[in-house]
Amino acid sequence: MGRAIEVSGLAKSFAKKKSVGEMLRHPLRRPERVHALRGVSLEVREGEIFGLLGPNGAGKTTLLKILSCLILPDRGQARVAGESIAHEDRVKPKIGLVNSDERSFYWRLSGRENLDFFACLYDVPARATARRIETLLRRLDLLEDAERRFSDYSSGMKQRLAIARALLHDPPLLLMDEPTRSLDPAAARALRRLVKDELNRRDGKTILLATHNLREAEVLCDRIAILVRGKVRQVGTVAEVRRWGIRQRRFRLEVSAWPPGLAGPFEVIAVEPADGGQRVTLALDGRARLDDALRVILGSGVALQSCESVEPDLEEAFARILEAEDEEEPRA
Amino acid sequence: MMRNVRKLYAFLKRDFLSEVTYRVAFLFQVLGMFFSVGAFYFMTKMIDPRTEGLDGIPPFPWLLVGLAFQYYFSTALYSFSRKIRNEQLLGTLEAMLVSPTPTSIVIFSSAAWDFTYGAIRVLVYLLFATLVFGVRLHANSLDVLALGIGLTLLSSAGLGLLSASFILYFKRGDPINFFLSGLTTFFGNVFFPVEQLPQALRPVSEYLPITYSLRIVRGALLQGRPSAELHEPLARLALLTALLVPAGLFFSRIAIRRAKREGTLVQY
Repeated sequence: MGRAIEVSGLAKSFAKKKSVGEMLRHPLRRPERVHALRGVSLEVREGEIFGLLGPNGAGKTTLLKILSCLILPDRGQARVAGESIAHEDRVKPKIGLVNSDERSFYWRLSGRENLDFFACLYDVPARATARRIETLLRRLDLLEDAERRFSDYSSGMKQRLAIARALLHDPPLLLMDEPTRSLDPAAARALRRLVKDELNRRDGKTILLATHNLREAEVLCDRIAILVRGKVRQVGTVAEVRRWGIRQRRFRLEVSAWPPGLAGPFEVIAVEPADGGQRVTLALDGRARLDDALRVILGSGVALQSCESVEPDLEEAFARILEAEDEEEPRA
Repeated sequence: MMRNVRKLYAFLKRDFLSEVTYRVAFLFQVLGMFFSVGAFYFMTKMIDPRTEGLDGIPPFPWLLVGLAFQYYFSTALYSFSRKIRNEQLLGTLEAMLVSPTPTSIVIFSSAAWDFTYGAIRVLVYLLFATLVFGVRLHANSLDVLALGIGLTLLSSAGLGLLSASFILYFKRGDPINFFLSGLTTFFGNVFFPVEQLPQALRPVSEYLPITYSLRIVRGALLQGRPSAELHEPLARLALLTALLVPAGLFFSRIAIRRAKREGTLVQY
């Protein structure tokens, strides 16, 4: 599998705005810099949905803007679809950017008129424009509303129109910046289905998705990177990242009755009532074996109905990563 | 080349479609133009037609041409920067700049409608002047007139790009617009002939493109001068254009690069 995006040692800082008082006190002093990206390196494989996760201000949008050639990095290199971002004329035809900004269209024009204008900017051949727009409007379920003014569109429709715009020139790579941020749960679910089933699986688009919605990342992404304060803290599949920092594996047991005080090569995390019995959560450390634990439990006369492994939660993993970051580099 | 022409057309179409949604406002603008032309017609009756610098042109058409072209110049001056600001506010600038269309084409084409609309306003002014107020226009140097108007358009675009570059670079109010607007109004032969100014101040007008634009337009349209007599202001206007357009393009490129480095290109 080829690489759709390669980022190496990317750094970017912005000048902090000086307050009036500061400008009066130190008119010549250079403004402080805020570091948005600090040596970011990562790879996105062709055909995957790669999630860029992080709290607000982590640098996700900055990274997307650098990859879209809207911002120049201070240091480092990036290649998009095999082209260096230094050659924006070669990179831009290969990307489509979808952001969460509802304002990015002309409100007094219809959806179709907006797409017609952007199709020209995206170098869609004049003869193919009408058909391309028609196809996209139909696919994104906007055909019936194509002649309505953009200002009359709902948030979900605006977001779908933004996706239609990003697809006008049929780029192999989509960069999506929190595309479901302003959507209600139903619209967000529909959009996620569109991204996963249509754009990724059917069309084979590579998608770099910036989000702070962990649930969304779990549902959509093949791999994710956790970005904290401009640094990549973890990269891997969702399952790999979930397990990060966990020294124990967890299991959930359904039993008839749990004998109080039962001890073994495990730690009892919780005992809760369940349908006609009890649900017990156990934690086993790295060296402990599940069959040893079960032998102790069954030997005590417990009637075991089921036993399943408990997948660690991405949210917990995310919290652990933030905690580790704070320990390593306390906030100013 | 054809691709860029198509893009220019797309910008024109976009702005036209937006503009026609404000039909009433458009009607009021035309009415407003009619009233201002009427007001100047009666105001200029107070001016002595023998005033030095009018070159035998009656005061009303002299002033009207000056006003129409001054409007055109100020439109050009403000257009680029105003459009960039508007697109930043609308959030559409980012959507345009992420497209394969070069930034310079986006900025240049953004102002196309303002330039076209400005030209339409100039025509409407002249139409009112001829149809309603009986001004006689000559048509015997149309070649030089067309060339002069083309150079006027280019030189004002050069100034507009300089002004937009300033805004992109410094993210502050634009002193270039303020300065050039003031200079044009005061020294550009717009409201009064430069001959009315003290001798020491008159040379300033020689560095303003509008001075030569107005000399060409007044000479061709109002005085009916033959083309040969207008070659000198045409050459001077061409020289200024040859300086202003590359300067505008050069500085806008620098400003865009800096804005990209600072991350402020799409921010208001």
